[in-house]
Amino acid sequence: MKRLYHSIIKETKVIIRDKEALLLLFAMPTAFVLIMSLAMKDAFGDKGNAAFSVVIIDNDRSVVGETVTEVFSFIPAFKVEMALPGGITDPVKIQDDVNAGRHKFAVIIPEGATKGAVRRIRQQLAFTKKGPAKEVSIRLFADPALRPDQNHLAASTLNRALQGIENRLLWEQFGEVSGVTPQGSLKETAEVLRANKPFAEVYPESPASNVQGAHKRPPMPTAVQQSVPAWSLFAMFMLIIPLSVTFIKERQQGALLRLRSMPAPAWVIICGKAAPFCVINQLQFVSMLLVGIYVVPLLGGDALTIEGGSYAGIAIVSMSASLAAVGYGVMASVFCKTAEQATTFGGTSVIIFGALGGIMVPKFLMPPVMQKITVISPMGWGLDAFLDIFVRGGGVRDILTASGALLIFAIACAITAGARFKYLSR
Amino acid sequence: MAHDCIIEAQGLVKTYPGADRPAVAGIDLRIKKGAFYGVLGPNGAGKTTTLSICSGLMRPDSGLLDIAGLDIRKDLTEIKGIIGLVPQETAVYPTLTARENLLYFGAMQGLSGDRLKTRVDYCLDVARLTPLADKRVETFSGGLKRRLSLVAGLIHEPKILFLDEPTVGIDPQSRLFIYESLKKMNSSGMTIVYTSHYMEEVETLCAEISIIDRGVIIAEGRVDDMVIRHSGSVIEVRLNAPPPEALRQKVSALPHVSGALFDAKTFTVKSAKPQQTIGDIMRLMEESNLNILSLCHGGLSLEKLFISLTGAKLRE
Ligand SMILES: Nc1ncnc2c1ncn2[C@@H]1O[C@H](COP(=O)(O)OP(=O)(O)OP(=O)(O)O)[C@@H](O)[C@H]1O
Ligand SMILES: [Mg+2]
Repeated sequence: MKRLYHSIIKETKVIIRDKEALLLLFAMPTAFVLIMSLAMKDAFGDKGNAAFSVVIIDNDRSVVGETVTEVFSFIPAFKVEMALPGGITDPVKIQDDVNAGRHKFAVIIPEGATKGAVRRIRQQLAFTKKGPAKEVSIRLFADPALRPDQNHLAASTLNRALQGIENRLLWEQFGEVSGVTPQGSLKETAEVLRANKPFAEVYPESPASNVQGAHKRPPMPTAVQQSVPAWSLFAMFMLIIPLSVTFIKERQQGALLRLRSMPAPAWVIICGKAAPFCVINQLQFVSMLLVGIYVVPLLGGDALTIEGGSYAGIAIVSMSASLAAVGYGVMASVFCKTAEQATTFGGTSVIIFGALGGIMVPKFLMPPVMQKITVISPMGWGLDAFLDIFVRGGGVRDILTASGALLIFAIACAITAGARFKYLSR
Repeated sequence: MAHDCIIEAQGLVKTYPGADRPAVAGIDLRIKKGAFYGVLGPNGAGKTTTLSICSGLMRPDSGLLDIAGLDIRKDLTEIKGIIGLVPQETAVYPTLTARENLLYFGAMQGLSGDRLKTRVDYCLDVARLTPLADKRVETFSGGLKRRLSLVAGLIHEPKILFLDEPTVGIDPQSRLFIYESLKKMNSSGMTIVYTSHYMEEVETLCAEISIIDRGVIIAEGRVDDMVIRHSGSVIEVRLNAPPPEALRQKVSALPHVSGALFDAKTFTVKSAKPQQTIGDIMRLMEESNLNILSLCHGGLSLEKLFISLTGAKLRE
């Protein structure tokens, strides 16, 4: 035990004194988490619970204005902000705001819109002989950065509201003619419109979980939910560079030879080496979590939330991912002859594993074939497990398969490394 | 097994995976307790491999090895406890301080507590590194690193110390310092096995040596005996100008000459009848209008012994 303790102390000192390695292990993932969480924020914005902000300028303050406001508030995809009378109602200013993306949509309802609508209906029903009534002009501005389907959603919501209003007004005018007038004033009509539900109303739902294939699609994380686990895993595996470089240097400089001439068991030497790296891995992960929770929101991104997810699950995944990374590093150390080889091979293989594992491009954005390919990357297993916890609120049971796979990978690496080492030192 | 032998090896053979010839091809060693034993050989001769086998780092493909009465195949851990190895490379951690290096290696040898501290201080003192104990090794000169590497092999007071070319690349002062320290340790009872390709250091340090080349021992025994046995056959000649190729060939073709080595204005030949060969050489030089500046026969240099044993091919 004394030997193990001294091994750990020594390895820790060696690592801490290697400033470049620390930079690689901590500064790099922090930068990635920050950049990706902020840069990808909008790309992920329609996912999760982020809603489009819609500013409604209601100059009408009657049935039309109130109903439109009501309908937009009712749909979760929109977050209604009212431009209060006396606030910014200047259409040019509003358009500027929308163009700059401060609001995703703006709806401008002109003064007297309700009166105009009633006039037009009465004229269509030929209750009045006055000349053709002007069409009411309601305007919808959309952020030019939005996708056509997103624009379409806002337009059809608005049109649906207008159609409802028209039907209601029509019915009311008929009532007047036929003598059945349940409601007197327009104000009361608005109340009725609000209370009355259409004959059918459809909401999107997820297929029941027992329907085949329901759970197979990858979860859709927010930018920060993706970046934190992804780049933590990436950095954890990047550890193979300092790990194998120190190991190879130890070999080349003869220190390993000296150690092997000593009566210290091999496991002490290996564990003494691996343990500090596992601790570094955990520190990396925790610091990335903290960056996600506290730093990203400071810079205007969404904060990382873990509510519902299992902390034990997170710990298990991060431990097993760390063992996989260390195992992989030990294997690379044994197979690479020089530190340069280890750096090149280690760095490249981690980047490829990362790309295949959905680190750089989130899995849910990949076409199905590529999604299938992600199974070959241990980083992909770790990422899937983390997303299960962060996005779906998964627990320990949900991540056992992935953790098990990571542990098996770690063991396989260790065995391969051991066999190769035996072969080389025959 | 003889009772006074602490290392006894028989027929050690070792071929590295993928190599086309064995690095060690049947080596026998008998090293007495308390000896200062030299293993001499050119680059690639198999010195390191032999040492690795004797210090338990590597298993021979075949052969028997007995160290202090223990069988290397069965009592490896015990053997490791009584041997110290100073590898060919410096074998210390550059980013650790001298003291941290010694503490670590001491701990890995199984020392702890006060004994570890005492030994570390003692070793620092032996290497005259006490004032630099808390400086990182990467700031040390080559000689300082070597001295640290040497004492790192002594930390656990081994009975046998294996040294693999411990003086490569250091200045004469540090080299002399290491010689003196080793002599002291040897006279206090430690068995030392020392490899080198420097003739003169083996000559001053070791009473007994083996000379190996291409994985086999080509000569062994007391240095003095060996010199007497072989040096008489070697002639060293210094000229005023480098001999032309044709002359070199004539020298090599002289009767009784079995090897000749040319190096700029000097050359060395081995002859079964040196007196006759000296006459032949003088005649040849006169014919070629070259002046002999010096001619030496029967000197004690191991350098010449080495050439006489391994021939000119050696320096290829
Ligand atoms: N790990 C290895 N794998 C394959 N061949 C090796 C290995 N180590 C040494 N050899 C070869 O075995 C032979 C003996 O090498 P060894 O290192 O024992 O020589 P040496 O006498 O110590 O030489 P030097 O003076 O250069 O240290 C050489 O031909 C060398 O190329
Ligand atoms: Mg060697």
